Amino acid sequence: MAIVKMKKLALCALKKDRKNILESIQRAGVVQVENSEMQDELFEKIDAKQSIEVFKSNAKVASDALEILDHFTASKGKKVSSLVGRDSISKEDYYEFVDNAQEIMRMAYTICDAQNTILEKEAEIVRLALKKDSLKPWMNLDVNMNFKGTKFTKAFIGTVPGEQDKESLLAVFKKFAPDIENIEFEIVSKSIDATYVFVVCKKENSIDVEEALKNMGFLPPVSITKHTPEYKIEKISEKIKSLKEDIDDFGKLIASYEGARNAMRFIIDYYSIRSEKYEVISKLQYTKHTFMLFGFVPEKEQKKIEKVLSNNFTVAFEFSSVEDGEFPILLKNSALASPVEPVLESYSLPGKGEVDPTSTMAFFYYILFGLMLSDAAYGILITIGCLFALIKFKNMESGLKKSLNMFLYCGISTTFWGIMFGSYFGDAIEVISETFFHHKITIPALWFVPLNEPMRMLAYSFGFGILHLFAGLFLKTCQLFKAKKYKDIFYDVISWYLLVGGSVIYLLSMPMMTKLLTLSFVLSKTAANASWICIAVGALTIVLTSGRKSKNPFKRLLKGLYSLYGVTSYVSDVFSYSRLLALGLATGVIAQVFNKMGVVAGSGVLGVIVFTTIFLIGHTMNIGINLLGAYVHTNRLQFVEFFSKFYEGGGKKFSPFSINTKYYKIKEDI
Amino acid sequence: MDNFGIVFAIFGAAISVLLSGIGSSIGVGMGGEAAAGVVTEDPSKFGKVLLLQLLPGTQGIYGLLVAIFTFIQTGILGEPTTVSFIQGLLYFASCLPMGIVGLWSALKQARAAVAGIGIVAKRPDQMGKAMTFPVMVETYALLALLTSILAILNIPNINL
Repeated sequence: MAIVKMKKLALCALKKDRKNILESIQRAGVVQVENSEMQDELFEKIDAKQSIEVFKSNAKVASDALEILDHFTASKGKKVSSLVGRDSISKEDYYEFVDNAQEIMRMAYTICDAQNTILEKEAEIVRLALKKDSLKPWMNLDVNMNFKGTKFTKAFIGTVPGEQDKESLLAVFKKFAPDIENIEFEIVSKSIDATYVFVVCKKENSIDVEEALKNMGFLPPVSITKHTPEYKIEKISEKIKSLKEDIDDFGKLIASYEGARNAMRFIIDYYSIRSEKYEVISKLQYTKHTFMLFGFVPEKEQKKIEKVLSNNFTVAFEFSSVEDGEFPILLKNSALASPVEPVLESYSLPGKGEVDPTSTMAFFYYILFGLMLSDAAYGILITIGCLFALIKFKNMESGLKKSLNMFLYCGISTTFWGIMFGSYFGDAIEVISETFFHHKITIPALWFVPLNEPMRMLAYSFGFGILHLFAGLFLKTCQLFKAKKYKDIFYDVISWYLLVGGSVIYLLSMPMMTKLLTLSFVLSKTAANASWICIAVGALTIVLTSGRKSKNPFKRLLKGLYSLYGVTSYVSDVFSYSRLLALGLATGVIAQVFNKMGVVAGSGVLGVIVFTTIFLIGHTMNIGINLLGAYVHTNRLQFVEFFSKFYEGGGKKFSPFSINTKYYKIKEDI
Repeated sequence: MDNFGIVFAIFGAAISVLLSGIGSSIGVGMGGEAAAGVVTEDPSKFGKVLLLQLLPGTQGIYGLLVAIFTFIQTGILGEPTTVSFIQGLLYFASCLPMGIVGLWSALKQARAAVAGIGIVAKRPDQMGKAMTFPVMVETYALLALLTSILAILNIPNINL
């Protein structure tokens, strides 16, 4: 249970060593470099924004290229998942890639350009296909599309709405232009929407004819060419074919870079490392020949950094101790507790003057989780699943490893509580033995069956809740002790212990209460009297001391009374632990329902098949839903009920200047 | 008249399943719409948004639980018993908290979950917090579940 102690590092070195020093620090990965705000005429800062932009855009191009490669090559690259972890890269490969960085980037650009060309050509094909479609109805027209007529005739090419034949067209035309005799309609093709016509008339009538046609809804074709439609369609088809060939060629070109996949991966990592380095460079202060670096180092890593720096470079450095609350937070916990660190982090890291609650939290986390899921068989499945993944994938990323470890311990706890409550896939053992072997076997609960005695379980749920809350108050004691506020321990913690604890004892001395909660004992009258004293002392302390920051005695009293009202929040907090019972029942009863559904088909061969199917599907679903439920509700109990007693958080995470890569692990000695 | 007991009991069970099931299906549907939007942009967030989508789904299960407890107590599942008229009404009343609170809390939880999906879309590292907000709503569904179950389990002890 600890927040790692930090030292402040100030370092001064020669500018010519900057590259090597920074790289050493980056590889060591234990220094968080601070942005120096020092104002001094002697020093100035370097603006590295431009370089960072370049590196980031290079990494982006390479990652685009990698994506394109995956799209165009049949053999998908090995997926880098957090389960499998990253490969290590050998020293030779590293330097070979670095030397070829320019060449690799050229390839990346080629791949991206090829992809862009393909996209352009695909758009062109779509455009041409549309044009082709609009020409298709004109296939049978054997003159050029822009044909206007001969010396004495005038020709119109276009469409009229609706499906029509020659006679109906003529009839309509006569309606609009009764005087014109010499006119010829030729129907090229027709569809439901439109009729495609070629109209010829005498040149002198052309204006009247045009007017009449316009009134008929005559429209010129969408695409007009100077060739015959047939010729044009053929041309377009040829063009589309050649475009498709081009696309294939570019696709092949991209596919031919398949071997460069690893190089792309490396270059993405390489440029993200470099851009991180340049971000650090812009945080430093420079004179003409030297630079200064400020940052934080965990105290136990001080020796390591000292060695790295003084053995290889001409440097001056100084480690100084830091004030409380002004350093980034790094947690260090036992193997059992550290898996819940991410849960704490997702709430907030310890703020100024706060203790690291991870260990206490982990202890309750596992217990509460187990109580909510509370099925031995489910617990064993989770345990085995996590163990299997942890053993099989040794190279796993640390974040996932922590989560799996957390679920491993939660699984063990679930198994434990499952055995205590006698639940194995619900009542599967009873059901199976009774249906298929006609002999009922029951594994008795080691403690009791919550489903049969829900009130008893409710009482114990409240009990666990009170323990959890008291543990929270205890951590507050630690915090106050650390801050040397000894009086406050009595005012803010012990008073509440007395008040809440006393109330609990008093309730337990009431026969009505213990009967309701089906407890086997009733506390004696003496205990009840003693509890009254506790309650009185506690309540009085709270009323008198909670407003101690105010000078005005009246205000002080009011504030004290208001604090006493806070006892209601304890009541609701304790009641909130009733979810332990509710979720436990949910798991057990749903499991039983599936078991019951499974045996509907009796005990024959069909019965076994039906049972197995329903059993597998049902319990998989039940594990999934209740695992989610147990996880989120355990988090809630920690965040809301537990943390509200002592914890605010607000610490900043320690994020050292290190090698953060996506695809390769870069070893320290490179 | 005594035969009506079982009718009311089943009415209760039906209401519990109906209302909380409706709530959950609307809720999970809302979550699914929002989640699908996020996955269009970034398919790698599928796992995270799926968890958030599922959160309003629990009410439906709680509704089913209450119905099953009613079935067991009234002898529809398991050993047959007699249910008096008054007991039937009591079962009916006991099922109401789960049905009504289940419906309402699923709808409200869904809105919190959709907002949480919004958090994950922009800041996937804040998954823990995004999940906490909808879970706050779920508490009340759990309290309703407890109320319904504790009542149903104790009705046979009432001799009416």
